[in-house]
Amino acid sequence: MAATQGTIQPGAVSLGGGSRRRELGRWLFILPVVLLNLVVIVGPAFFGVYIAFTDWSGVGSMNFVGLENFGRLLQDQVFWKALRNNLVWTAIFLVVPIVLGLLGAYMLTGIRRGQMFMRVAFFVPYVLPSVVTTHIWRYLMHPRVGLGQWLSDNFGIDFLDKAWLGSRDTALYGIAFMDNWHFWGFPLVLLLAAMSAVDVELYEVARLDGASRFQQFRHVTLPSIRPTLVFLLLMIAIWSALVFDYIFLTTGGGPANASEVMGTHLYTTAFERFQTGYAATIGLVMVLWVALVVGGFVYLRKRGWEI
Amino acid sequence: MFRRVLVVTLLLAALGVGVVGAQDGVTITWWTQSAAMPSNIQAVLVDAFNAAHPDITLEMTPQENLNETLRVAIQAGEAPDLLVTPGASFIAEFVDAGLVEPLDDAAAELGWADKILDWAYQSGQLGGVLYSIPLTYESLVLFYNKTVFEDNGWTPPTNIDEFNAIAAAAEDIGIFPLTYGNATWQPSNEHLMGMYLNAFAGRENVYKALVGEIPWTHESIAGATDLLRQHLVDDVWYSGGLENYFANGGDDIRVELATGDAAMMLSGTWNFRGIGQFFEEAGTEWDWVPIPPMSDMAGEYGYELATGTTVSVNAQSPNKDAAIKALDFLISDPALVLQLAADVGFGEWVVPVHFGVDDFPEGTDERVVRFFSDFAAVTGEGRIGYTTWTFWPNDPNVHLWEAVENVWWGDISVEEYLEEHERLWQIERDSGNLLPVPAPAMGGM
Repeated sequence: MAATQGTIQPGAVSLGGGSRRRELGRWLFILPVVLLNLVVIVGPAFFGVYIAFTDWSGVGSMNFVGLENFGRLLQDQVFWKALRNNLVWTAIFLVVPIVLGLLGAYMLTGIRRGQMFMRVAFFVPYVLPSVVTTHIWRYLMHPRVGLGQWLSDNFGIDFLDKAWLGSRDTALYGIAFMDNWHFWGFPLVLLLAAMSAVDVELYEVARLDGASRFQQFRHVTLPSIRPTLVFLLLMIAIWSALVFDYIFLTTGGGPANASEVMGTHLYTTAFERFQTGYAATIGLVMVLWVALVVGGFVYLRKRGWEI
Repeated sequence: MFRRVLVVTLLLAALGVGVVGAQDGVTITWWTQSAAMPSNIQAVLVDAFNAAHPDITLEMTPQENLNETLRVAIQAGEAPDLLVTPGASFIAEFVDAGLVEPLDDAAAELGWADKILDWAYQSGQLGGVLYSIPLTYESLVLFYNKTVFEDNGWTPPTNIDEFNAIAAAAEDIGIFPLTYGNATWQPSNEHLMGMYLNAFAGRENVYKALVGEIPWTHESIAGATDLLRQHLVDDVWYSGGLENYFANGGDDIRVELATGDAAMMLSGTWNFRGIGQFFEEAGTEWDWVPIPPMSDMAGEYGYELATGTTVSVNAQSPNKDAAIKALDFLISDPALVLQLAADVGFGEWVVPVHFGVDDFPEGTDERVVRFFSDFAAVTGEGRIGYTTWTFWPNDPNVHLWEAVENVWWGDISVEEYLEEHERLWQIERDSGNLLPVPAPAMGGM
């Protein structure tokens, strides 16, 4: 539709004196935030990029070493193991908490009495500090005093009686399990809120058309909550690149780097080996991961996806 | 007119503040790790120092995460007057950056070489210049469950044969010979590596490797590394196997020892702080002995030297002289040091000064006094060993405790592990990043 005469299209006409002053006023209001962002985000970010090309130890002088740190990165087997573990972690978290959250939220939509209580109950683990959660689960997963041994001793159930965090085969999955236990209430609450906003008439129409409960979920619920779902997937893909605390607090990346992720490798490099320049290079890879994820979503939006 | 009056008033007020400030003297700041800070430090050290120096005010501030906080503060030019670091290898980095004040003149004037234990004084030197004073020292010993030993008629081992015999006897009665784990502190691996290096390869070989006279691939070093692997992996002596080792945290291993699920624990004297509580709850008794030599190369037993945190004077501080006075106040009074150390169970703040048995506060555990007395006598004879966190540069140190896990899991051989270790050491040697290493008594090992 062509613009009708007298309609102001944003950016289509030059700003008059009053508009310019109003625009300037808006910028003045936002200026403190912009300055703050420049000082605490943009500035350190550019500094981080620069030190990735140096041999800086974290204090004192730094020498420019060109692409040396990037060459080292290519040969660093621990880094590649960490990157692979980050990918595994991402795959787990894009599936498990989302599926659990969807199922939990969908089932809760059918409950009227006690729904708020259940929401709070599911959300409580999410607000527990990671140091508390890991402490509790480290004991529950302990091979000699944990839940597995208790079940084995008292009920003869042996398959859980393992050193979940002590074995190379299970350490990463053990930590992912405890992080999922803490995290899944978050997608559940968000998805429940999104499902509650779906127009009930859509369900009535679907029922009249003979849709089963699963078909209602598949053809009404899922399309209606897609923006929330995609937002969750986006955030999980970003957070998975940055995962650190649960692994640092349980195995430190061991045994023998079995649960190493980029975050723990970066920490050891920066604060144990004092190779801050190389640690910044690892950090750049994490930034690149996030940029690729965000870029992918921006691309899909431009392609017309409703996300 | 009003504006002029206001400006003059403000200027006078500012001047007044300056004058009052000058009359008040200087304030020196000292940050310390909160978890390691004695509860009596204000009364015993800070108030006592301030009372003795009316022109100086010492302020002690606990920090939750001192190392990271300090590094950021240094970059911002906001570091305290006294710099506390986790160890000698950390201070080297600050020295390289010109952030630490040389203390040789003050040490000569105040006689610090006579006040501080000789090896500890040396460990604060870099390139022959004194930059730091160890704020605590520790060593590694063999803890054992005395009740279990007495019940079974065992005596603490003094050599590798007795050690093996007790391990076998412990297995016979269905308990673990040893307990340990790294779940809450991954670098715990280095405690065991350091102990086996010194107890098997011997202090002389470790010293030679540290100063570059023999490579880290030397057969004595390889033998020590393989013996630990054998005890941990093949013999499953430590808490029943490798997987349990990786699942055990600091409290788990003390519980295993106190309850008699394990007979012995090779660990640090920092356990003096708090180990009694576990045994009290279990209704058992603990004791310690020196780590038994594990080969003929090791000779008579000795003690590994370990400085924990160090303290230095900030080169950018405007109050260097006052900061030096605070250090001198601390190291000049052994009884004061022991009051602080006793408050934290002799796990921290054991400043390495010359104290005698009479300096210990009344009621100090006999086992603790016995350790410090024997340590002084034995290390005085040059029977010293080397802890990895005191004498290894950062990069080889991390490699030592991180990559040894790959040896234990069979990813790499002992030889491959030590070849990489030697390579990293060579880089440090070439860069001149080596730390001071006191020589042991040579020969007769």
